[in-house]
Amino acid sequence: MNSKPKARSYTILLILLVFLVGPILWMFVTSFKDNIAIYKIPPEWIPHKPTISNYLNIFKDKLFMTYYFNNFITAGLTTLFTIIISILAGYSFSRFKFKGSQILIMAFLSVSIFPVVGIITALYSTFKNVGLLNTRTAVILTLTAANVPFCMWLMKGFFDDIPRALEEAAYIDGCGRLSTLFKVILPLCSPGILAIGLYTFLIAWDDYLYCLTLITDDKIRTLSNGISMRYLGELSYDWGNVMTVSVMASIPLLILFIFLQKYMIQGLTAGSVKG
Amino acid sequence: MKAASGGNKKSTRRFYKKLGREKHDRIFAIMLLLPAIIVVGFTTFFPIAKSVIMSFFNYKLKANADYYWNDFLNYKELFQEGEIFTAIGTTFKFMIITVALIFVIGLILSNILNKDVKGRAVLRSVVLLPWIIPTIVTGLLWMWIFQPQYGVLNYLLMKLNIISDPINWVASMKYALYSVVTASVWRQIPFITIMLLAGMQGIPSDLYEAATIDGANSRQCFFKVTLPMLSNVIKSTLLISIITNFKQFPLFWIMTGGGPVNKTTTLAIMTYKNSFVNLNFGKGAAVSTIWLIILIVFSAVYNKAFKTARD
Repeated sequence: MNSKPKARSYTILLILLVFLVGPILWMFVTSFKDNIAIYKIPPEWIPHKPTISNYLNIFKDKLFMTYYFNNFITAGLTTLFTIIISILAGYSFSRFKFKGSQILIMAFLSVSIFPVVGIITALYSTFKNVGLLNTRTAVILTLTAANVPFCMWLMKGFFDDIPRALEEAAYIDGCGRLSTLFKVILPLCSPGILAIGLYTFLIAWDDYLYCLTLITDDKIRTLSNGISMRYLGELSYDWGNVMTVSVMASIPLLILFIFLQKYMIQGLTAGSVKG
Repeated sequence: MKAASGGNKKSTRRFYKKLGREKHDRIFAIMLLLPAIIVVGFTTFFPIAKSVIMSFFNYKLKANADYYWNDFLNYKELFQEGEIFTAIGTTFKFMIITVALIFVIGLILSNILNKDVKGRAVLRSVVLLPWIIPTIVTGLLWMWIFQPQYGVLNYLLMKLNIISDPINWVASMKYALYSVVTASVWRQIPFITIMLLAGMQGIPSDLYEAATIDGANSRQCFFKVTLPMLSNVIKSTLLISIITNFKQFPLFWIMTGGGPVNKTTTLAIMTYKNSFVNLNFGKGAAVSTIWLIILIVFSAVYNKAFKTARD
């Protein structure tokens, strides 16, 4: 609908923009203030004497850097495994229809909506029994499993759009099944792969609960959990520090968003709008 | 799709022996599915089953605590203490308020962004920003805004003479739940807006033209054309957001921890507290089992409601 917006629309838009973007700007502003400026009333909307001392403190904090590094490792590996597993499963569902494949897809999708908190107790005791408690493997495994159902379903959609004639041609040329998939079909769905990769990375980066319950070792703890363990005091918080780690935790996603927004949105909307 | 695959299969038969190829296909298909089945089976299917079983047992993470069938004691305790009913109420209250707010705001916002506003392309990206802020950061950010002495919100409200004394939002019996609602709404508006906007862009413009010729004003256009055309998108996004908010854990845990005095204890918080604070795994599993049943019933009712609405 391309009707001309009225003044009222602009007013509503402005209010919503302040609500949506204001807190993010406030996070950045606070991170550049020293402890005196942070607790000033009325607040300084733009810091009079901006400082990067909060950032220097964070960079010097070895544990924070460990958490940060761990978050990249965990989210990165989760993304990698999710992509591989989703490609294989999505391809299978798209090309080889067998009895019960529809039911299997539904089963995958419906268990994936079950609340993680609801199964984390059982997961904890399972991992304890097999000796995977307090390992990176446990977190990566659970995060991968949480993302695979939706991602393989998206991949199936992308594969469905690719004509079968391509595979027929590749078979005739003597390509095996796997090399057909990887050499002929996959290059055509790289936007789809990018979309599910970004989607998974976003969710894995955000993980709090798995790490909270499955990991007790600071060496492999990830970011969200590390922040809440290390920077949230019992009574008072050092808000300058807290906002600075918050900025640090958001920046990788901000960068991805600035450059790859199109694919992130595609992954999100592709499934639901179609379905 | 099925007809097309049948046709294609026929053509491949010319090049491969029929039986051998189909059998190979089936094996290949299963091999491709195996990793997904193993990973999801081990960490989702199996724990769901195990959780239901655990809920009937005495299972505590204490030294020399035994694992035995305890005659529904976990459930009896839960129902006798009655806290679970409050938690169910809180969970639904939080979910309904959040979902209602994000849909109303999301519809307003996407409707505006679907018009010819100035700087539309940039605005569309900017409103998505909260979506990529990690959940924990969202919680911290709003706690800082809600902070009683130095928070921006109290300062602004006092400056505008809306309140006379600072309010301790997150720790107040009255406002704690709404503080979490605010943070949750803030983070989810972008998702709803993208979805609705994508749906709106798929509505053919001649529908609006026809409606306008028939004398419909913009309000009528919205309610008679936009909303009905969006019903599919709304159906799927509504279910996703209901479920997302139904299981919200990190925001509560970070912002209120279920308090003050259990005022914001949802089923998620209750499960976690029973299992990992009180170390009573059996009882925690019982809460999750009740929770799973509510979810299953809810999805069934939801699907049925939408089906009959469409017929």
